Amino acid sequence: MTTITTGGARPGATASPGPAAKAKARRDGHGMRGSTRTFWLFAGPFLAGLLLFVYVPVGWSFYLSLFQAQNTVTPTKFVGLDNYADILTEGPFTDSLWTFTLFALIVVPLTFVLALALALLVHRIRVARAFFRSVFFIPTACSYVVASMVWKLSIFNGVRFGLANTVLGWFGIEPVAWIGTVSPPWYWLVLVTVRLWLQLGFYMILFLAALQQIPKELYEAAWTDGARPGRQTFRHITLPQLRTTSVAVILLLLIAAYQAFDEFYNLLPNTPYARPPLVYLYYTALGQGQDFGHGSAGALVLSALITMVTLLQGRIFGFGKADS
Amino acid sequence: MSPEQNPSRSFGRRSFLRASGTVAAAGFLAACGGNTGRGGGSAGGKAAISQWYHQYGEAGTQQAALRYAKAYTKADVSVQWIPGDYASKLSSGLVSSNGPDVFEFHPDVQMAKSGQIVPLDDIIADVKSDFTEKDLAANSVDGKVYGIRMIDDPQFLYYRKSLLEKAGVQPPTTFDELIDVSRKLDKGGVKGLYLGLKGGSDILASPLIWATGSELLTADHKVAFDTPATVEGLKKMRELYTSKTLLLGAPTDWWDPSAFTQGLTAMQWCGLWAMPGIQKALGDDFGIVPLPGIGSAGRPVVYNGGWSTYVSAKAKDVDAAKAFVKWLWIEQTKFQEDWCTSYGFHIPPRKSLAAKATKLQSGTAAEAVKLFETKGHYDDPYWTQAMMTISQDMVNNAVVSGKNPESEVAKARTRVEAELKKIA
Amino acid sequence: MATSSTTDVRGRPRAVSGRAGGVAVYTVAVVAALLFLVPFYLLIRNSLATDADITGTNWKFLPTELHWENIPELFNDPAVPMARSMWNSLVVGVLGTAGQLLVCSLAGYALARVPYRHANKIFYAVLATLMIPSAVTFVPSFVLVSSLGWVSSLQGLIVPGLFSGFTAFLFRQYFLGFPKELEEAARIDGLGSWGTYWRIVVPNSRGFFSAIAVITFITNWNAFLWPLVIGQDQSSWTVQVALSTFTTAQTVNIHELFLAATVSILPLVLVFLFLQRYLVEGVAHTGIKG
Repeated sequence: MTTITTGGARPGATASPGPAAKAKARRDGHGMRGSTRTFWLFAGPFLAGLLLFVYVPVGWSFYLSLFQAQNTVTPTKFVGLDNYADILTEGPFTDSLWTFTLFALIVVPLTFVLALALALLVHRIRVARAFFRSVFFIPTACSYVVASMVWKLSIFNGVRFGLANTVLGWFGIEPVAWIGTVSPPWYWLVLVTVRLWLQLGFYMILFLAALQQIPKELYEAAWTDGARPGRQTFRHITLPQLRTTSVAVILLLLIAAYQAFDEFYNLLPNTPYARPPLVYLYYTALGQGQDFGHGSAGALVLSALITMVTLLQGRIFGFGKADS
Repeated sequence: MSPEQNPSRSFGRRSFLRASGTVAAAGFLAACGGNTGRGGGSAGGKAAISQWYHQYGEAGTQQAALRYAKAYTKADVSVQWIPGDYASKLSSGLVSSNGPDVFEFHPDVQMAKSGQIVPLDDIIADVKSDFTEKDLAANSVDGKVYGIRMIDDPQFLYYRKSLLEKAGVQPPTTFDELIDVSRKLDKGGVKGLYLGLKGGSDILASPLIWATGSELLTADHKVAFDTPATVEGLKKMRELYTSKTLLLGAPTDWWDPSAFTQGLTAMQWCGLWAMPGIQKALGDDFGIVPLPGIGSAGRPVVYNGGWSTYVSAKAKDVDAAKAFVKWLWIEQTKFQEDWCTSYGFHIPPRKSLAAKATKLQSGTAAEAVKLFETKGHYDDPYWTQAMMTISQDMVNNAVVSGKNPESEVAKARTRVEAELKKIA
Repeated sequence: MATSSTTDVRGRPRAVSGRAGGVAVYTVAVVAALLFLVPFYLLIRNSLATDADITGTNWKFLPTELHWENIPELFNDPAVPMARSMWNSLVVGVLGTAGQLLVCSLAGYALARVPYRHANKIFYAVLATLMIPSAVTFVPSFVLVSSLGWVSSLQGLIVPGLFSGFTAFLFRQYFLGFPKELEEAARIDGLGSWGTYWRIVVPNSRGFFSAIAVITFITNWNAFLWPLVIGQDQSSWTVQVALSTFTTAQTVNIHELFLAATVSILPLVLVFLFLQRYLVEGVAHTGIKG
């Protein structure tokens, strides 16, 4: 598990072959030309594909974002930055950013805490440990399509034969319209629980792997020094030791939340109160709207935001500074 | 093969007998049958035509569509039966080179203006008078007809007669009565009214505005919905929503009658297509009413939805595609009749066919046809999909989220005006 | 409950956490496990019930009678080609995974080990693609694929997904840590870069390859949006697309829908049960590297 400490998500530090590798290449006496050929032999197919299937479409999106591209992807009417101005004035797109922010504020800390708790739980268990780990991990196998379906039709449907309403019924409580009501906003419960169920196991495994990396000696030393097992060692040993993993987890959770689409799309109709950015863009460009200009502009704004959040988080949590 | 063909053959025979009774109509059809041999089928290899349908819920419709395509001899027609989000697949298909040649959709001015679809005046010319003025208007942009109406689907309120009797109420004729009736019907685990997953804020967005006496756009395509009456309508709708008598969160949306047939709700907004299923489940125990009017200028409203066929400008062979559309949706009246009445109920857009559709001539179905003719409102092709979303957001914000209706209407006005600018 | 244990500075904390602590841990674990299993229970229950059982007034923990005949009903339903879509998912899953592993591992190796003047810039260009949500490129990607004539085809489903910047990145990070001595020994034996890669590097990285393979297969199997748009013809539907046809049909056949969902997750659940070791390893890698 050396991979954990070499930490990958640091674009700056160990990211590239860099000057050292270059120098070494020269020292090794491999001709630069020969190694260039090798490089393209190995990486060529991938880079060609990346160019064709990622960079060309991104470039095309940028092009579209500068045009009035209504019902066409080969537009002729150049509008400059108008599409960006439109989409950034207060309206459904900015609303969708707030929806996302709220979603992230709920789902990121919750996943973080619960995944860590599950990892600690499984880590402590000795009997039937593999069983519990499997149970928490297996939902990762399910798709959002399947999970949304179970949530929408069987657990949180708004009528009497939903599981949640059946349980409420045992206590004499009237059926609740889980996804159809904003006061109280129960749809958040539905959205958040489906994501938790699907992703907790994944992050639990991450924490579990990290927990297993913590040297036993650290704890033993702490006990000898009089630290009490439990809260004290957790705070002073476990948490600091999980730092790299924690930062990676938060970053992954944020990006995943920003790209939330499947459960919103499959669980809820297209409503202004629960429409995250990707869902809005999907309906604008692909859905009924066919407005590729505004859709592309919004998508690029979203990409810029994701990049900014990633870099900002790197700054705050000191990505890349830790070990250079 | 035979189980598939039998019903259509027997249907064909029946309709033939009926048609032979109306000699004028038969002669008329024969006349336009003679007009076909215009280039479409070309001398060499057969043209290939790809035809798209959204996924209909009624059993047998897909087989029927395939049967029609197979019966066409002048080109190879492949039918794509599109599940899920049809509008999205269609829009991505239309911008690509693998899109449909012939497809069904709703009137949309932007498709016409951006040159995605071609005018069909030449193929409809001979039978234009057989379509209603409103059907034609709904498919016309700048005086050209872009779509051939395949089915008319009026939507209205279904109610359970027995439950209304038990509660001692009459079918509602005003919006206040609707709220009151919904309250009285909401008991014993049965909710009063089902307007879909979004509490009606999507499907009733346009009908609600019409019911207040307002229009969406003026005849010369300017914003018309921003009236005090619309604000009043939103307030009434909010009152209905907050009465807590609406069924919310049923497993399926408003277009599926199962919440109504399973006894989860006493009333439901749904379409004519669902009537055979409802009859099967409930017998005679149901009736229909339009959406009641709201306010002093109010009027009862039925929403005339439906589907039309269009020809993509990117079709591999536009003429061949047009020839096929002409064959199927203009000449093959037998298939059109089969399509409209053999599976779910739909009103044939052709007057001559509607007159012959016996299944629609008695009972509640006949009532629906009458509502369609007298209270029906059609989509305006200038009211684009984007504007629909804007108005639905407006209703949703004001009704479901309880935001200020005046400012929601004002906001929607600004956004619709921006959309209108794109078309101009 | 972690703090409830008695203080014993010399003892091992696990040993002293006490019976009460142990019971509490297991209670929490069992309750959590039950909650996690509820959706699976619902999938199985609803799969083998009738719609009347499911929508009835009283909750039935299990259907009065198990309706095994639902299974042939599902596979014989002419509206949804379940068997065909399972097959498509399998083909897309296997070929997509194999192709992605091949293309991305080679690129990852080049970026990690082959000295090249512009490798640095190229690496950043790859890294940048990780930030781009698929929706940004969705429409132009579709237009591109359709202009290649790949709509409703397996290559349309598979090929655009092969070039994953993320997977290439993971391989690069992995190869950075691959012991150099092995490669150097191979070179002394006269193997070129290509030979070294296939004879030495790949066989010694089987664990990592398996881990990424399992993760990639799951991602491919569960992909929804791209197959939905590309799979316009029934013959090219994947199982997720087939599932979505049930949910959007105008009348919902609940038991058939749930059975289809159950069938769709079955292969992956099996993969999970038998290949969990690789999976756990894969997740640990992908997560940390993300």
